[in-house]
Amino acid sequence: MAGHESRPVLQFAPFQSSVDEGFWHRLSSLKLNKLGIDDSPIPITGFYAPSAHPQVSNYLTLLAESLPTEPCEQSSVAMVIRGNRNRCSAPGILYNTNTLEGFHAIDKQSLLKAEAKKVWESIHSGEAEEDSAILSRFLLISFADLKKWSFHYWFAFPALVLDPPATLLDLRPASQYFSIQEHVMTGATRAQRQVESPSAVENRYLLVSRGIFCFSSQEAKKYESLVDVPFFLLSISSNSHATVRHLKDWEACQHGEQKLLFGFYDPCHLPNNPGWPLRNLLAFICSRWKLEKVHFFCYRENRGFADLGFSLVGEALMSVPQGWEDPQHIPSAVGWELNRGKKVPRCISLAKSMDPTRLAISAA
Amino acid sequence: MVLSQKFHEAFKGTVERITNPRTVSAFKEKGVLSINEFIVAGDNLVSKCPTWSWESGEPSKRKSYLPTEKQFLITRNVPCLRRAASVEEEYEAAGGEFLLDNEDNDGWLATHGKPKETKSDDEENLPSMETIEISKKNTIQSISSYFGGEEEDDIPDMAGYEEADNVIETDAATLQSTYLVAHEPDDDNILRTRTYDVSITYDKYYQTPRVWLTGYDESRMLLLPEDVLEDVSQDHARKTVTIEDHPHLPGKHASVHPCRHGAVMKKIIDVLMSRGVEPEVDKYLFLFLKFVASVIPTIEYDYTMDFDLGSSST
Repeated sequence: MAGHESRPVLQFAPFQSSVDEGFWHRLSSLKLNKLGIDDSPIPITGFYAPSAHPQVSNYLTLLAESLPTEPCEQSSVAMVIRGNRNRCSAPGILYNTNTLEGFHAIDKQSLLKAEAKKVWESIHSGEAEEDSAILSRFLLISFADLKKWSFHYWFAFPALVLDPPATLLDLRPASQYFSIQEHVMTGATRAQRQVESPSAVENRYLLVSRGIFCFSSQEAKKYESLVDVPFFLLSISSNSHATVRHLKDWEACQHGEQKLLFGFYDPCHLPNNPGWPLRNLLAFICSRWKLEKVHFFCYRENRGFADLGFSLVGEALMSVPQGWEDPQHIPSAVGWELNRGKKVPRCISLAKSMDPTRLAISAA
Repeated sequence: MVLSQKFHEAFKGTVERITNPRTVSAFKEKGVLSINEFIVAGDNLVSKCPTWSWESGEPSKRKSYLPTEKQFLITRNVPCLRRAASVEEEYEAAGGEFLLDNEDNDGWLATHGKPKETKSDDEENLPSMETIEISKKNTIQSISSYFGGEEEDDIPDMAGYEEADNVIETDAATLQSTYLVAHEPDDDNILRTRTYDVSITYDKYYQTPRVWLTGYDESRMLLLPEDVLEDVSQDHARKTVTIEDHPHLPGKHASVHPCRHGAVMKKIIDVLMSRGVEPEVDKYLFLFLKFVASVIPTIEYDYTMDFDLGSSST
C-alpha cells in the first residue's frame, strides 16, 4: 500500500440544480387545488443531459412536467417522454412544508440518509442494475409561500461516501486514451450524418453508442432504448470494436478479451474532474462487483454531438470499505447543494409573474 | 406593458382566432412559413442539431393547430459568456461591424468600420415597444432582484440559517466551489457566464417562427427579463426585443418581436436565389437562427450544420 497516499483523491464536481419557472407555477396550483395542507412527500422527476458545451456544466433541471399532473388537466401526452437524450430522467422526492418554520426545522441529515438508504438498497437488491437512473436519485425540500409568491428550496444529491475515498490513477481526454489504445476515433456522428474523414478509413474505429455515434440506421434502432439511459457499459473487443451495453450485461462481458469501461452521461464540463453521477456508480461497482480498479468514461458532448476531446477516460482505484458486504450497514452520504458556496437554501420570488394584483397593475 | 402594445396583442389574438392557419406555402414569396413547413423545418433542426428538442409545454396553452408533442422548440442551458453590450463597445472601439440597412432592422452585419455616430436621438424617439434603460456601467454585476432580497424585505436573510450539518464541504471527494474554478483566473468571466433557454414558437399572426429567451445567472437563478436585454444587441434591445407572455410557458420572457421576420427572411432568400442557390424550406430555421444571431450575438445556441447555401459571406 506504499505510495497509496501520494495518489490524488478522485474529486467529483457537485451536481447543480436548476428550476424552471413552470415547476413553481405547477407546484402552486397543485398546492392550491389539490394538496391543501397535505405535506406528504411527492415523487418528482428531474432531467439532465451530458454537458453540451466546454464552458458550462449541465444541471439537474426541474420543469413543470417534473410534478404529477392535476387530474383535471388533459394529459394525452405521457408525462415523461422517453427517448429524448436532452432529458435523461432522475427520480426525486419533494418535501414541501406548509410553513417557513417547518422548512427550516426539517431534519436534513435524516432525510438525506433516508434517500441514501434507498440508493443503497437498490444497489443491493439489484434494482439499480436494471434501472440505473436510480443511482441519481435526488431530494428537494421546499416551502411555497403563496401569499408572497416566493419559494424557498434546497436540493440534495445523495452520494454514498467511499471510505477511504477512491484515488485517481489516470485521467485524460477520451480522444487521447483511445489513440493510445491504437484506435483511430472518428468524430461523433449520427445516423443522419455521413461519416467523414476518409483518411481514417483503414483504422477506423467507430464508437457505436447511444444512437449518437451510430452509423447505420439499423444500429441506431438497436441502441435507441439506450439513448436516455445515463449509465452504461462500453465494451471494447480485441478487434477494436466498441459496443454500448446495459450495466446489467456486466457479468455476460466477463469472458472474452474485451476491455470494459463504465460510462455515464457527465453533466460536468471541467477538464480535470468527473461529475457527481459517477460517485454512486463507483459505489455501485464497488459494492456489487467488488472491483478495485475501474476505467470510467465521462461522456460529454459539444453542440449535441459526442466530443471525445472533451469527454474523459479515467482509471480509479478503490478499496471496498468495511462493512459494505452488509446491506444493513448504510454508508454515510453527502450531497446538500451549496448556494454560492454557502450552506444556505435558495429562494426565488415570482410575484412579478404570479401575483394577481401585480399582474393586473402591469396589464393596466 | 404599454397600452398600444396591449391593444395590438388583443387585435392579434382576435385575428389569430378567426383566421385559418396558413396552408399554402409562401416561403419564397413572403419569407413566411405555413404550419406544416414550421414542423418540417423544426424536425430538421432537431435532427441536425440535437441540442434542440420539441416540447409540448403547458397543457392549457396548447395550440390545436400544432401537434401536441410539437408545440415549440427549445434548447436549454446555452452559454452566454459575455454581455452583448460590452462586446459591442469593443467592436466599436475597433471600428468593427455595423448593421447594414439599419432603418429596416435587418440585422445584417457588415464588417467594415462603423462611422462613429451618436445614437442618442434614436434612443429618445423610440416607438411604442417597451423601453428599458440599460446602464452600461452595471451591465455585468447586476444581480436580479428575483432572489437577491435587496428590495424584497419579504425574503428573510438566509445567512442566519447557515448550517453545518452534513454538508458536502466536509467530504474529501467533493470538488469545492465549482463555478470559481470553472474558468481561468480571468475573473470577469466568472460573473459574466450566464445561461439561456432559447425557445422557438410559431407565431400564427405573422406566420413566422418567434424566438424567446429565458436567462439564468451563473448559479442558474432566473434573470429578470430586463436583465436579459443586456444580452441583446443594443440596436435591437430597445426596439425589436419585447417582454411578453410566452405562448407555451408560464411567466414573462424576452422575445424578438416577429413583425419584421417575414421581410428579413424574404431578403435572405432573395440574396440566396440571386446567388443561384435554391433555398429549401426545411433549412428555414437555420437561416432564421443565423439571422437571430445578429440580435443575440453572445448567446451561443446551436444552429450550424454543413449545408450548402452558396457562399454566404456573413
